[in-house]
Formats: sequence, C-alpha cells, structure tokens
Amino acid sequence: MSDLDIVGPQLAVLVAAAAVLLVDALIPQHRRIVPFVALAGLALSAAWTLSWVARDDYQTAFEGTLSLDKFSVFFYFLFAGITATVVLASIDWVNRAGRGQGEYYALVLTSCAGLMFLSASRDLITIYVALELSSIPQYILAGWGKDNRSSEAGLKYLLLGAVASSILLYGMALLYGLTGTTMLDGIADAIAADGESHRSLLVLASVLLIAGFGFKMAVVPFQMWVPDVYQGAPTPVAAYLSVGSKAAAFAVVLRIFFEALGEGFLSDDWSTVFAVLAAVSMTVGNVMAVVQTDIKRMLGYSSIAQAGNFMVGLAAISVSGEEFTLGASSVLVFLAAYAFTNLGAFIAVIAISQRIGSDQIKDYAGMWKRSPVLALALAFCLVSLTGIPPTAGFWAKMYIFNAGIRADLAWLVIIGVLNSVISGYYYLSVARQMFLGDAEGADRVRVSPSIGLSLGVATLGVLVFGILPTPLISAAKDAAEIFSRQ
Amino acid sequence: MSFYDTWSAVLIATIAGFTLVFTALVATKLLAPYARERAKGVSYECGMLPIGRNWSQIHVRYYLLAILFLIFDVETVFIFPWAVTLGADVPLFVFYEMLVFIGVLVLGLGYAWKRGVLEWK
Repeated sequence: MSDLDIVGPQLAVLVAAAAVLLVDALIPQHRRIVPFVALAGLALSAAWTLSWVARDDYQTAFEGTLSLDKFSVFFYFLFAGITATVVLASIDWVNRAGRGQGEYYALVLTSCAGLMFLSASRDLITIYVALELSSIPQYILAGWGKDNRSSEAGLKYLLLGAVASSILLYGMALLYGLTGTTMLDGIADAIAADGESHRSLLVLASVLLIAGFGFKMAVVPFQMWVPDVYQGAPTPVAAYLSVGSKAAAFAVVLRIFFEALGEGFLSDDWSTVFAVLAAVSMTVGNVMAVVQTDIKRMLGYSSIAQAGNFMVGLAAISVSGEEFTLGASSVLVFLAAYAFTNLGAFIAVIAISQRIGSDQIKDYAGMWKRSPVLALALAFCLVSLTGIPPTAGFWAKMYIFNAGIRADLAWLVIIGVLNSVISGYYYLSVARQMFLGDAEGADRVRVSPSIGLSLGVATLGVLVFGILPTPLISAAKDAAEIFSRQ
Repeated sequence: MSFYDTWSAVLIATIAGFTLVFTALVATKLLAPYARERAKGVSYECGMLPIGRNWSQIHVRYYLLAILFLIFDVETVFIFPWAVTLGADVPLFVFYEMLVFIGVLVLGLGYAWKRGVLEWK
C-alpha cells in the first residue's frame, strides 16, 4: 500500500475534486460550502506532504515512475498554496458567473493534481500523462467566461497546446529511440555510456523538448498565446496559469534536463539554447509590456519576461563541483517568490477590476484615494516583480543572477539587469498612476473577505521572504540537492 | 548497437509504406478505366433520389448520452479481463480495486443523473 501512500497528496486533491462535484450536485442548497471543501482537500494534501517531511523517508513509487523527494515536496507545497490562493480569489467571480460552481473548482483541483504529478514524475510517459492531466482542465477554464473573448482564449490555448504537445512527443519519442528507455535515470545512464556517438540527434531531441515545454513556460518564441489568453480568460484563471502551469513546466524541465540530459557534453549545448532564449524572452517581454494599456496584457508580457529570468538559472548548469545545483536551486527560489508576487498582483487586479469594471491601466488612476489597501498591495507586488528590496523578488533576482555570474554568463546577467530597468518603467508607471493620478470616480473600492484573505497571504509572503529569505533559500537548496552529481 | 542499427528497419518500413501507397495510387490513375457521370455521384445508383443535404444538426443531448455511454463502455472493457483473471491465485485486493473503480463510475453516473442529463427535455 505504500504506493498509494506516496501519491496521497494527489489523491487528497482528486478526492476533493469529486467531493466538490457531488456537494454541488446533491445538496445545491449548501452550495456555499463548495470552495471550502476544495480548500479542505488542499489542506489535507499539504498535511500529507508535511507528514512525509516529518517521516523523512523519501522513496519512489510505481516502479520508480513517481519519486517522492525533497524536490517534489517543495513543489507539492507550492502547488497546494497556489491553488488554495486561487480558489479563495475565485469565490467572488464564480458566484457572480453563477453557473457550474462545482465544476469550476473540480477542474482547478484536477489541474492541481496534474501539476503535482508532473513535479514528481521521473518517466517520460508519466510526465506526458501528468502534463495533459494538468493542461486539459486549464483549456476548459480559460474558456469559462461567457464572452467571446474568453471562448477565443480557450480555443487558442487548446489548439496551440495541442501543437506543443505533439512537438513534445516527437522529442520524447526521439529520446526513447536513442536510449531505449523512458525512465529519466535510465536515459542518463544510456547517454553516459555511448551518448557521444549520436550527439546531434540528442541535441535535436533536447530542442524539441524545449519547444514543447517552452509553450507551458511561456518563453519567446512560444509565447504568442500568453497575452491573448491572459486577457480573455477569467482573471483568477489567468492568475493560476501564470504561476501554476509555469512553475510545473520549470519543475519538469529541471528534472528532465538536469537529471536525464545533464551529461557534460550535452548540457553545454542546451545551456546555450536556454541562455539565448532567456535573453530574447526578457527583452521581447519587457519591450512589449511597455506599450500595453490593458493591465492583464501587461502582466502577460511581464510573465514572459519573468520566464526569461527563470531561464538564467537553467542556463547556469555549467557550474561545476559543489555548486552544481546552484542554478536549479535559484530557479526554485525564483519560482516561489514569483508565485507569491504574481498571485498578489493578479488578485489585486481581480479586486479592482470587479469594482471599476475595466482592465485599462488609465482607469487605475487615483486608486490610492479609492482603496489605499489595494493600491499599496498592488504597488508592493509590482515593486517585487521589478526586483527592488525589501521584497522576495529582490532576493530571487539576486540569487539567480549570482548563479549566472558563477556560470560565466556575465553577458546574460548584464542583459537581465538592463531588462530590470525597462521593467521598472512599466511596473512603476502603474504605481505612479495609482498614487499620483486623479481619481475617475469618488466611490470607494471595497474588498470582499475572501479576496482580502488571499491578497493578504500573497503580499505577506512577498514581505516575509523579502525580509527573511533564508528559509526559502535553504528549502530550495535542499530540494535541488537531488540533482547533485557528487 | 547504434541508433541507426536499431531503427533503420523502421525507416525502411516507412519508406516502403509510402512507396506502396504511392505506386498503388499512380497505377490506378494510369490503368483503371474512368467514366464521369452524374448518376454515379448519387447515393443509391438505383432507388430513390436523395432529398436535402447530408449535414444535419444533432441535438447536444445526444452528445451527453454518448458520454454517459462511455462510462459503461469503459467499465465493460476493464471488467472482462478482470473477471477472467480473478481466481484463487489473485490477491484479494484486486477484488476491492474493482469495487473502487465501479464506485468511481457510479459517482459519475449519480452526478450526471442529479444534473438532469438523463431527462429528455
């Protein structure tokens, strides 16, 4: 039964998804408790993960296809936290949308279970199944809104996602053909044994994998869907996509590339690909974000630029010796800091947009007078996205650029720092609008308790990790330890 | 064995497959007698002339029923091999696993029932 024990966190989430559907269908008069059933499932999942940490007995399940290690535990907590925050932030929106309450939360939970499986899988087939388990609910959720724009977002996401999946499968098939196994450790062994003889094909497989996952990570040149989907999808869903699926994609890329394709001669090649993609993503994302007038589109382009920042950590694999895992741990730190920050920004946007009925940045003028708390929280998160202390975003950027410097990627770090300056312009110009602009309407913008709670959690995370980054960094270091080659 | 030794058979099979299909298509074009007539295009060469178009709208409730049918379909696919192998030498938890599986499907059916999918309105 220990296999079931190991997938306990995912099972808890999936059982909660079924429970949510049944509560909604069987006792519609108590529909209000539906989101709390979802939250209870996530809490149970986190508690189960915590019990694994307490037992300190890490092992693999299902013939080694799923691995419970410090890396997956890190992501279990991250995904449970992200999903819980998104569920809280969705309550108002779903109540107003009025239909399919149970189905909405069930889809969010199913997707969360997929993300958890994704971070734990060590087998190409399991990775693919987990990817689809997390993606298909996201396609439906992106089209959940009633307007044409949301339908367009859902359809666009679905079609491009299908193309990305097929490219990914080509890469996986090629990798299987070259090594004769789908297990990541087996692939690593096969490449170490005689990978050098078909190096070019291995590089082709890596490029196909990068393209397939690049869609989920939302890096240039696979980013076309991001602004349209973020703008069209319901805002809580956009928040979920921008942190959840991105974090999972980076988790699985770390696993595949550091564990299976980490052999020296190969990593030299793909770390260059990541470095170039990082530079291009940062620059394109930031330059495009400057000209946006819609805040959700701006956050979309900003998330492309942030994905470029993450990739600096992936490119930093060439660090050798004891610091080999520095790049991986810096990605984890950045992912956690970004999750809090971006969720905070999106939730503030949800709260403001619900009241003023607009996503235009110019309508945010004078928000300081209409709702000081929301304006402060949003400004604080934008400061963190820029990477200015005392926020979590500052430490994340410093840590990841440090990894870049150690890996002799000074040119990339210089581009990154220049891009931070560009990003400061558009992030802070929103803050300037809110504090210095003249208010359009005089009415106060009120915040509902659920939104307030989720916003509070997110901004508190940004602040706490901004002042005390050590726990986060040491947790990330422990998690990245599994890639260690000593 | 290198990559090419292992997989060259697949490549040859692919090329042979394409060649076969291509040859067959080209050969029919060249060799077969071909006559275009209006009467050959109708659905029944002898019999009633078809009326209207063959694109007709199907109500969405058929789609829901099709999905419900899938529940029982999948159930059958899994139950038959399970029933054949279920014997003295199979551990007991295999029996309970199938109960769990059927339980999940029943939950799905109950959900659909409650949502009014089975009512033809």
